[in-house]
Amino acid sequence: MRMIRSVALPKAILAGLAGAAAMEALSLIVRLAGVPAVDFVTELNSVTFQHSPLLANAVGLAAHLGVGVCWSVFYAFFFWGRFRLPPAMQGLVFAILPATLALLIVYPELALTRVPADAASLSLREFFAPLTWASVGSILIAHALFGVTVGAIYRRPVGYRAGRKPSPPARGRADRSRTARRETPAGFIFATGIECSYPTIENGRWRRDEMESVRHYERWQEDFELARQIGITHIRYGPPLHLVYEGPGRYDWDRIDPQMEELREFGPEPIVDLCHFGVPDWLGNFQNPNIVPALSEYAAAFAGRYPWVRFYTPVNEMYVSARMSALDGLWNEQLRDEGAYVRAAWNLANASMAMSEAILKRREDAVFINSESSEFYQPCCPDPEIQEIADEANERRFLPLDLIYAHPVSDRLRELLRAQGISGDDIEKIAHRDVPRRSILGVDYYEWNERLIDRDGQAQALGELFGWYVIADQYWQRYRRPMMHTETNKADSDGAARWLWRQWHNVQLLAKSGAPLVGFTWYSLTDQIDWSIAMSEAMGFVDPVGLFDLNREPRIVGLAYKHLIDLYRDQPGYAECPALKAIMQ
Amino acid sequence: MKYGFLSAHGYDPGPSQRPYLAGAISGLLATIPAIAVLMAFGSLAVESEILGLSRAVTLAVGCVVMSAAGAAYARFFGRAANAVRGGWLFGMSFGFALWAAGGVLVLPLLSGGRAAAGEAALGLAMSLIAWGLATGILVPFVHRPLHENIEKASKRTSVGPDAAAAKQQTIREQRQGKRP
Repeated sequence: MRMIRSVALPKAILAGLAGAAAMEALSLIVRLAGVPAVDFVTELNSVTFQHSPLLANAVGLAAHLGVGVCWSVFYAFFFWGRFRLPPAMQGLVFAILPATLALLIVYPELALTRVPADAASLSLREFFAPLTWASVGSILIAHALFGVTVGAIYRRPVGYRAGRKPSPPARGRADRSRTARRETPAGFIFATGIECSYPTIENGRWRRDEMESVRHYERWQEDFELARQIGITHIRYGPPLHLVYEGPGRYDWDRIDPQMEELREFGPEPIVDLCHFGVPDWLGNFQNPNIVPALSEYAAAFAGRYPWVRFYTPVNEMYVSARMSALDGLWNEQLRDEGAYVRAAWNLANASMAMSEAILKRREDAVFINSESSEFYQPCCPDPEIQEIADEANERRFLPLDLIYAHPVSDRLRELLRAQGISGDDIEKIAHRDVPRRSILGVDYYEWNERLIDRDGQAQALGELFGWYVIADQYWQRYRRPMMHTETNKADSDGAARWLWRQWHNVQLLAKSGAPLVGFTWYSLTDQIDWSIAMSEAMGFVDPVGLFDLNREPRIVGLAYKHLIDLYRDQPGYAECPALKAIMQ
Repeated sequence: MKYGFLSAHGYDPGPSQRPYLAGAISGLLATIPAIAVLMAFGSLAVESEILGLSRAVTLAVGCVVMSAAGAAYARFFGRAANAVRGGWLFGMSFGFALWAAGGVLVLPLLSGGRAAAGEAALGLAMSLIAWGLATGILVPFVHRPLHENIEKASKRTSVGPDAAAAKQQTIREQRQGKRP
């Protein structure tokens, strides 16, 4: 249950105006039919400007519309999405609140304002005397109509219709003061990120755009400055692919030039996410094999436009992208099919490889941070069927990384790939490719990444059972690549500082065990929207997981992260990180 | 429980913020438009008469009460009160609630059933809504310069390495069964 939401103010205002207008229209129709009913405009205009009926009516109407807007915005902040009901029904339930207040307080008080005296002594019975059966009935029915209207209009407060382009980001202010860029050519990476997911939902009709939802397009300069104040050295940053890449050979660089210029001049150094959970509308979805050449072309153009960028994440969390889109049916193609999953994973892995190659042609010292969600499935019992489900889930999670890191793919998944029309030769070719030397394995971790396969064969979140150290070590043993903790956060903002420090100890322990660790990330800079429901619906719930809230004020974990960075960044092994230095050489 | 609920969902103001002070200052400043509305509708004189106080004392008591109400508003809404986009509405809602609770229920109780009527009643309602609106608008701007800066706030031990321990309790205390 969440207290407030991210609100689409224009939509809420429109809903309030429409609701109040509907109430007034109903009242007018009922009175024209000769049925006694409360007219809210008359009620409100009767208390002022009695010498001018026109002015009084205008004020009454404006007041009624204004009250409608206030209630509608209140609904949007506090009530929308609280019940799993159709939107109009949510509005109807909400209408109980304004109707009750209208009956118990506002309507009797309005009657009191018409008493020709400055003060009155009233008993309760006298106070409620204006409430007749007719007035009570008309107030209730009118408010029900108001609620249904508001509920029907106010829906999907975040995101936008696929194909629409939101306004370009605000231009920078020239007179601001900035913290100087801290040069750390091979220093340990203390990172955060701007949440930048942009999958489609509702079968491709609605585009989620987290940068828009957290208002980064309006406040990007402030965001970068806040990151610098914390001491962040690197920022995971994903320019909106769906808005920039307009078609083959067509790019809207104006949309991101100012931000990229700011990062180049003042930092933090960007780790550029080129594809984060979605593709442009004209590319369809992850089932489309054409995403491989298209994203490769985009990567080449990006590296050509911003040749100073050193760090790239070609495709963020390939496994999560493929699973949520093709196996869980939540994003993009919204399929629920193992074959569709391996197709999406194959396409994304090939896109990642092609993008890396395209970037290396323009910048041969580019570093690739391949972020992936570190999932782990534990069978609940010795039941062979449960064991098998867990085994399959565990091999499935490795598929995209197996492909890009030239690790042998399991026989079962190889068969599934071949069933998708992918030849054995193509699989072999990938299995023997040269992996770019400057490839870092990014391992993301959240408290639900460890899962139990229960007796029904369903995955249940286990919480932090083994911890990042144990799970990340599985990835280290499998791929033997330099490692980075590339995402973590905690939904409970009160416990976030504790989680931060515990994750940090996990990182240190893995480094001590011999894994070359190059960085740590709290994700993200600000709170996120609908993150806890995987953006699967456009609800506008605010998840307090950021270093800063959406007002850009520090959360406790933001202060804790600054404390951590200040404590470690100049220490031996961090001021110059041997693992990163080795990669950069 | 209420505060636990709010903090769990990210509304707790956190150690670098001063919601009580920001709310009290905003609530006090917001009495200026509220008093203007009371005067315009002639409500101040009526309220003084109902309460049996002089106008000056009524104003002084009103300022103290509304300053406290401002502090309560900022604490209750927490981080949400710092939102420029929503503050006006939160403040107005709070003003409306104060009117409904105070103006309509408490005031008549204190005065033996007497309540403002006519334009004075309207003025009382409008003044509290104006107060709420002003308080809601003011809090984000008043609060900002009152924040402890990040540099200083991050030096607090509560956000340092000790935060990794579950209950900020030494092993000896745990063995002794002390509650954190």
